[in-house]
Amino acid sequence: MGQTNREPEDRQILRYYHRVKFLVDRYRRLIVLGLLSLIATDLAGIALPWLIKGGIDRALRGAGDNSSLVTYPLLILLAASLQGFLRFCWRINIHGFSRRCEADLREVVFGHLQKLPLNYFQHNKIGDLMSRLTNDIHAVRELMGFGSLAIVDAIVTILLSLTLMIAIDPWLTLWSMMAMPFIPIVVRYFGRNIFRWSRATQDQLSEMSAYTLENFSGIRVVQAYAQEENQIAGFNRISSEYRRKTMWLATLWGIFWPLMQVHAGIAATIVLWLGGRQVLTGSMTLGEYVAFNGYLAMLTWPLMAIGYTANQYQRGTAALTRIAEVLDTPIGERYAEAKEPQPLASVRGAIELRHLTFSYGAGQAAELHDLNLHIPAGQICGIIGETGAGKSTLVNLMLRLYEPAENTIFIDGIDIRQLPLRQLEDAIGYVSQDIFLFSGSMRENILLGVEDGELARVQEAARIAHLSAAIESFGAGFDTIIGERGVRLSGGQKQRTALARALIKNPPILILDDAFSSVDVETEEEILRELKQFMAGRTTLLISHRISTLRDADMIVYLRGGRIIEQGSHAELLSRHGAYFSLYQRQSLEREVATLMHEDGQR
Amino acid sequence: MIGAELPDEEILGKAYDARLMVRILRYLRPYWKLLAVAFVFLLLQTGTQLLGPYITKIAIDRYVSAKDIHGLDMMALAYLGVVVCGFIVLFIQTYTTEYIGQRAMHDLRLEIFTHLQKQDLAYFDRNAVGRLMTRTINDVETLNELFSTGVVGLMGDLSIVFGIAAVMFWLNWQLALVCLTAFPVIIYLSRFYRRRAREVYRQSRMILGRLNAGLQENIAGVATVQAFGQEERMYRRFQAVNLNYRDVLLQSIRNNAMFFPAIELFSAISVGLLLWYGGFQIQGRAVEAGVLVAFLQYIQRMYLPIRDLAEKYNILQAAMASSERIFLLLDQPETIKNPAEPKRADKFTGAVEFKNVQLSYQPGDPVLKNISFKVRPGEKIALVGATGGGKTSIISALCRFYDVDSGQILVDGIDVRDWNKQELRRHLGLVLQDVFLFSGDVGTNITLGDPRITEQRMIDAAARAQITPFIDKLPNGFHEEVQERGSTLSQGQRQLLSFARALAFDPKILILDEATSSVDTQTEMLIQQALHELLKNRTALIVAHRLSTIRNADRILVIHDGEIKEDGNHDALLARGGLYARLYDLQYRFQERDGGAAESASTVG
Repeated sequence: MGQTNREPEDRQILRYYHRVKFLVDRYRRLIVLGLLSLIATDLAGIALPWLIKGGIDRALRGAGDNSSLVTYPLLILLAASLQGFLRFCWRINIHGFSRRCEADLREVVFGHLQKLPLNYFQHNKIGDLMSRLTNDIHAVRELMGFGSLAIVDAIVTILLSLTLMIAIDPWLTLWSMMAMPFIPIVVRYFGRNIFRWSRATQDQLSEMSAYTLENFSGIRVVQAYAQEENQIAGFNRISSEYRRKTMWLATLWGIFWPLMQVHAGIAATIVLWLGGRQVLTGSMTLGEYVAFNGYLAMLTWPLMAIGYTANQYQRGTAALTRIAEVLDTPIGERYAEAKEPQPLASVRGAIELRHLTFSYGAGQAAELHDLNLHIPAGQICGIIGETGAGKSTLVNLMLRLYEPAENTIFIDGIDIRQLPLRQLEDAIGYVSQDIFLFSGSMRENILLGVEDGELARVQEAARIAHLSAAIESFGAGFDTIIGERGVRLSGGQKQRTALARALIKNPPILILDDAFSSVDVETEEEILRELKQFMAGRTTLLISHRISTLRDADMIVYLRGGRIIEQGSHAELLSRHGAYFSLYQRQSLEREVATLMHEDGQR
Repeated sequence: MIGAELPDEEILGKAYDARLMVRILRYLRPYWKLLAVAFVFLLLQTGTQLLGPYITKIAIDRYVSAKDIHGLDMMALAYLGVVVCGFIVLFIQTYTTEYIGQRAMHDLRLEIFTHLQKQDLAYFDRNAVGRLMTRTINDVETLNELFSTGVVGLMGDLSIVFGIAAVMFWLNWQLALVCLTAFPVIIYLSRFYRRRAREVYRQSRMILGRLNAGLQENIAGVATVQAFGQEERMYRRFQAVNLNYRDVLLQSIRNNAMFFPAIELFSAISVGLLLWYGGFQIQGRAVEAGVLVAFLQYIQRMYLPIRDLAEKYNILQAAMASSERIFLLLDQPETIKNPAEPKRADKFTGAVEFKNVQLSYQPGDPVLKNISFKVRPGEKIALVGATGGGKTSIISALCRFYDVDSGQILVDGIDVRDWNKQELRRHLGLVLQDVFLFSGDVGTNITLGDPRITEQRMIDAAARAQITPFIDKLPNGFHEEVQERGSTLSQGQRQLLSFARALAFDPKILILDEATSSVDTQTEMLIQQALHELLKNRTALIVAHRLSTIRNADRILVIHDGEIKEDGNHDALLARGGLYARLYDLQYRFQERDGGAAESASTVG
């Protein structure tokens, strides 16, 4: 594979270099200092065997004045101290550079990712994006940091060591180096396979995680159908497969390291065998023999580094490509400056749709077909329809989470694409169908959309959302940490938190997308009663598949297949005996039971 | 109950806990023979490490100085032998160690998973699935490092360090003493480093966890962030954690940048001392040149393991914390146990009886109060009532997902607590509103991969559940992969699929929680047909939402507030003029006005 692939690979790194160039510019000082101290470390290091040579030969020379015996040890101490200091310098600079790169790059990618259009997230799984933000950035860091500098280290060390080895004995150098050229090749081969297998084990591990997660989530079905043994068998299979793959990986590692030692060992054997003869015949001193061995040992790591860096280069380039792919995706249109921005002095909240047609992607079926609707400011508009009717799509467009065509959605007569984004966001209080809470405290979650939050306001929002009692029951009140995605709250509590979060913004437009699906009918009614006061003077879009939620709306729109099929007040729609009416019938039973029971309970 | 608490992943305990260690070692017991092999090879490996320099010494002192070329050749050959042996020994040692570790970890994982399969639903209500997953997968992974790197690596390193020291003393104790004078300093330095490294390590793990959680949260919640215009704030928050993480790592770089060069420096100091003292000794003929050379090599080989010791300590520590969490989970007893001697019905008929059943999920807050009713084999019962009234709890109690506080539930005259759980549940077919789909293809979702269900049986079940036409339209038919959040199947089709699942398992008693979600008329008709098929020849308990289902039932139980308010068939309840009658009245009037649409047409059965 190598030969044919090399060309485009090289071009790739050039193509994406500009993505990391800012890091090189920013930390030029660290790079230069790091490189200089690295080379200096190598120079100090190369002196050590030479000094040891001197020390041994001096000791073996026999009698003489004993004071000079101390010279070499002192020189060794000096060189070693210098080397230690220089080593400290390059470590601080180069590792510091690579870690700073990692952090900066992560920040850049994160900032970009945040503003990508939502459909990007539909096509890319969280796990995949996470792996770009962690593994890929990690690989780029290694490439930029130690990876590329290891090459410098390797070249300097190899050149210096070889020079001195040749100076001691050119023939012995030639013989002992026989096995050495294989090191980079072996490293490259094993490195590549080890990487491939560690990928495979990681994938298997993810599969195992997914399997357990699914099993625990569906435990009700598993137990109801007595599938425990079956599931255990399935887990056993996956776990065994994981074990098998890990063993392969271990085997590769198990051969690789000892193999490196064998190379070094064979070279040492040759030196013992041939070098020993030289010492024996007196054409080489014992000190030279030891120094030669020292230089030989110094070669192992740089030779490994060459193979290692080649792999790292390949991996880093691939990772950089994946990161660049994220960065090259343009951010959402909503963040672009409007062509002719038309900020409103204040938002009153009249909403108008004009010939609104939308599909999620070219070639995909349209979700909304030519919608026309006018909601006067201050009115409550109910939108009803089955799953997939286009209700949530409409909301997404109003918030510009997806981009509507120009001149299709208007607020107070202004195309929302011409409104400053900040104004649009501030104008709309929104409770989504798919509630997402953040892992902080209750208060932080309610205050999501506002900068300043006095407790009184938080309390008021919580009160209207019928959340006060629940919050009181938590030990820490508003400071209660609600866990990742609000796991510690019930479904109804989550929805009510999201409601409070929307209310506290005090928005002229309120959009409640199926906001009560997890609260029971009675609570829903109480909340709606409470909300009525809040909704006065605001435009409200009440979206539900439950008629009970929106029967009191000023106007009700029935969406089906992305079209408005009926429109009017509750009474009007009922009297029409159409789709709305039959839906009403279907939903009545449970509702009536509830009402009757409730009355019955009170009697 | 809810409070600000640290996720337990962030707590690092002791690096060594004898009680935990003993328990971990139990998992190695089945492999003790291999373990012995690994241990022997570990010692052999240390041996090969020690032999190389010693051969060099002999070669120099005995043959080079005597100008014996033949002897030198022999020594070179011996050296080569040691190199090759070293390769083989090291490979075998690594492989067996890894093999034992992987086996033991597989056993442990399987034990945890099996243990969790047997926990009751209340347990899964209490514990987030993500956390349980972490126990089964990640904690076991951490523990694995304890075997492969931690314990074995530590033993290997220690045996090399002590082995080299021993050989050095044996060759020349004065010289050894001089070389090792730096040792106390190194030990002190290592301890100092270890303490700092440990703190940094703990912090970096904690912050990395926070960083990744933040990343994940921001990706998953990107729609909310954008809708609320919170990009800037989230960015700043992320930046803070990111910088924090970087700074902790820079701290660790500083620690390493001091420690590792320091160790190298001490190694050079040892060499210097060796040459200095050795020089004197050689002059006094107290030591031979070869010893000096061997010592030089020994010093080199000794410092590498010393360097790694500190790192291995961290691994040990993390592994201990993981094992503690794992054992805590394994010590959780199974609350809904199978009886020691389960009873079984000779010929299962499908009778159900509730006798004064009280059930509560939280003590003192009963969701079922004194529920009593009898279901004859083949009878169809509709449970009617408002959400939260207790209908679902009746179902859960019957399946023995929860144990009752008092009273009894009898299936075929045998208390559910006397049944083998799995066998009991095999007689009960549960169909839930929210159809849970497993990843895999459509076929597997019908059979759940149960080997007892043949392909023919699955195809029949699908046909009877009226789902075959949909499946035939899929590109890969029964082999089409089902996506959890994907659009392979619509709501209605998911319903039909769950019917097919129940039909394939062919239970005597069907428990159905009817879906409330509305579907199009076409699918509704298919559901009606499939339901008809599903109810045939079975006892059925249905949490009913459709009027047609209720009317077709043999008996109706009106459940509210954990109690049975009315019990009787449609006519009797109508005649009684109670709750149900008024309810029906309302519905009926609508249908009259509607001119008797599909609903009433399909209800006559």
